Amino acid sequence: MESIDPKCTKLKHEFDACFTWWYSEKFLKGSKTNDCEQAFRKYQECVKQALKDKGLSKMINDARPSIGSRFDTE
Amino acid sequence: MVKFYQQKHSYDYSWGTVSYAFLNRYPNPFATHVLSADTVDHRLDEATGKLHITRLLRKTNSIPRWARGIMRGNDAYILEDVIVDREGGVLVSKTRNITHTRLLKVEEKQTLAVDPFDPHRTLCKNETSIVSNIGYGLNSRIENFSLSRFSENLAKSRKGMLYVLDLAQRKGLFRQRLPMEQRLGQQQ
Repeated sequence: MESIDPKCTKLKHEFDACFTWWYSEKFLKGSKTNDCEQAFRKYQECVKQALKDKGLSKMINDARPSIGSRFDTE
Repeated sequence: MVKFYQQKHSYDYSWGTVSYAFLNRYPNPFATHVLSADTVDHRLDEATGKLHITRLLRKTNSIPRWARGIMRGNDAYILEDVIVDREGGVLVSKTRNITHTRLLKVEEKQTLAVDPFDPHRTLCKNETSIVSNIGYGLNSRIENFSLSRFSENLAKSRKGMLYVLDLAQRKGLFRQRLPMEQRLGQQQ
């Protein structure tokens, strides 16, 4: 699966690999530690920059509070 | 006028497996319209133990012929918010399109929960709300078109999920029941 910007795809795959391992081996078994913090930070930096470059940051930030707003809040 | 739609079904897999499959559902052969998927936020709430994930998805935008005059063919961006409650065995995903919103606003909420009577099964509920405010007397037509496409899309995404679930099963993931599922399975 590609990232929004090809520059970030490799970092995305590294984070995804960590996440899939962590989710099944740690999170689902009760661990409360966040082992993929580092991989995520690197990946997130790249994505944030890509979104800025594409002019999407504002659109995303504006949309975030109202996702699923028509449904009951949990 | 907002239109709502709801559908319930189930998967013959444990919740741990289904939630895992859901979070890793792209790419799959039934989702070729999804061009990119990025996690924009990933946070484990230490107090509640809940996992919060926000994703940005980019999909190709298929427009019906009659709408092409009023809608550009750009890619569509969708934002997805997922909350995974491991203790309670519930995953809730909410999505909303963030482009082409003047034409159509589609919100979807999907709930995946352990079947209280069978820990090897997962219940799935899909709810959607669709509204168009484009005007020109087209609102209803657009809403109805989108609604009719929605149930096809749900069928496709279910096929995609089953594909990923089958793969996860073959890889030998989740051979054992997780402690949480055993506990929830005993609550009759």
